[in-house]
Amino acid sequence: MSIIEIKKLNKFYDESTHALKDIDLDIKKGEFLILLGLSGSGKSTLLRCINRLIEPTSGQINFLGNDVVQADSISLRKIRSDIAMIFQQFNLVKNITVLTNVLTGNLSKHSLFSRWTKEEKELAMQNLKRVGLQDFAYRKVRNLSGGQQQRVAIARALMQNPKLILADEPVASLDPATADSVMNYLGTLNKEDGITVVCSLHFLSLARKYGSRVVALKDGKVKFSGSPNDIDEHKFKDIYGEDAEEVEIR
Amino acid sequence: MGKAQNTLIKQRLISNALDYGISLYLGSTIGYLINYIFALNISPFFIFIWSSLAFLVLLALPNTPGKSIYQDKDERIKLFSKLYHYIYSLAILLSLAVGWFMVEIEPFEFLTGMTGTRNILRGLFNPDKEIFWKMVSELIKTIYLALMATVFAVPIAFFLSFMAASNLMNKSLIGRVTYAIIRTISTVIRSIEAIVWAIIFAVWVGIGPFAGMLALMIHSIAALVKLYSEQIENIDHGPIEAITSTGASTLQIWKYAVIPQIINPFLAFTIYRWDINVRMATIVGFVGGGGIGLQLFQKQQMTDWNGVGTIVWLIALAVWLMDMVSAEIRKKLLSN
Repeated sequence: MSIIEIKKLNKFYDESTHALKDIDLDIKKGEFLILLGLSGSGKSTLLRCINRLIEPTSGQINFLGNDVVQADSISLRKIRSDIAMIFQQFNLVKNITVLTNVLTGNLSKHSLFSRWTKEEKELAMQNLKRVGLQDFAYRKVRNLSGGQQQRVAIARALMQNPKLILADEPVASLDPATADSVMNYLGTLNKEDGITVVCSLHFLSLARKYGSRVVALKDGKVKFSGSPNDIDEHKFKDIYGEDAEEVEIR
Repeated sequence: MGKAQNTLIKQRLISNALDYGISLYLGSTIGYLINYIFALNISPFFIFIWSSLAFLVLLALPNTPGKSIYQDKDERIKLFSKLYHYIYSLAILLSLAVGWFMVEIEPFEFLTGMTGTRNILRGLFNPDKEIFWKMVSELIKTIYLALMATVFAVPIAFFLSFMAASNLMNKSLIGRVTYAIIRTISTVIRSIEAIVWAIIFAVWVGIGPFAGMLALMIHSIAALVKLYSEQIENIDHGPIEAITSTGASTLQIWKYAVIPQIINPFLAFTIYRWDINVRMATIVGFVGGGGIGLQLFQKQQMTDWNGVGTIVWLIALAVWLMDMVSAEIRKKLLSN
């Protein structure tokens, strides 16, 4: 069963910048989908169109029976609350505590002035425990390392109790060892909690290790869709260009 | 083709304008010096004429300042290849000479005329102890004056600063117009000295601390709008994106992603502004803003140098304390 159905999705930033060209993509429940492609190929734009952080120019996006593109602001907020997002730069609020950052994952259930409940705080602590950061709950985010910050971001995502996680190059600012551990957390969420993950990456090795399917974008079009193990040298050069060499990270 | 020609014409225009501007400047400085040294009275008309002639000469020469803008190093004609260097050096030397005469610098006076200040200095170092407590109370009045000016300025500046932040306002035409209007008004208000505002308000509401407070308030609003809005322009967009993606409402996004990023810098700027206002309050007092500045003005008018001494030392102490405390608080605020 599909969780996301994308049909003929187009995004123009201006007349000359055609970022997404007639994208058709079906994402199945439970998939760990890896988006590959050069910088500027449209990965970030595609991810942000799914929760409309970027407004699509035309096309359809269906999320579990909800029309994302046509949704009004209230139903859009409902849709967004079911889709968590993780970013390359972590995008945490740096001068508030780790715990408050995790709690913000639950904002859609709050009004402007309502206070965090005891149950929510306990849930936030549990989520921090899952990423191994329960001792950091009352620290300010700015004092954490990059890997720790990304784990806080994962805890924030978990707080949303999401059906889908969009991850926009979640490990691109991390060292290889930390990158693998962050991917590991995402893999666990996918397998144990059954959360569908759509994750853009730059490293094939990580794509092979964690992805159940790879979709490669080139110049705003889907260039390849299939098992990560089917990407041979020929396909690789097709996606990244003739001069590209595969770099291993482990 | 047309575009390339346009840029070429633009280049020539700029280059000739620069050469003409330099000719006018050199011509007038030389004219001023001749007039000054030989006590002549050459009219601006003649100066204009010979400057224009000098420009015609420059037109014919290679490597003038204007031509050096668009010519590549290797393209330059070898003859007079450093001409623009000499012209710039000449302009700097002439500026210094003109400045020296215009400011009426007199080193001899500076070295010999100090004896006249004996009374003043003696007064300053023998402060009048009788008026000490009265002046302390005036100083406290001044500090409160600065405090009230800051307190009233903050909410207004806070509100306006969002409309003066380009990243929030450049999305629509109305936004851009509002931005331009607020930025322009605040620049104009800031460029009018607080002392002028104090004179205006002293006439408006009468001499006294209230006039001083209004003068400092309007100045603080303009200054804080600039500082606040620059802070808003510098916020990290990432958290806003992240909080939006959780399904938060616009006001929640402001509360959790925007306010936490600006609150500490805003507080730091506010305290800094209070600090500045205490210093400015004494100046503003001079022209009818009340407080210790007014006392200073009166004592100085009566040539009561001992009284001036008391006040000066008190102000110095207050400014030093405020400076230190505010620097410390700001450091704390900005580091976390």
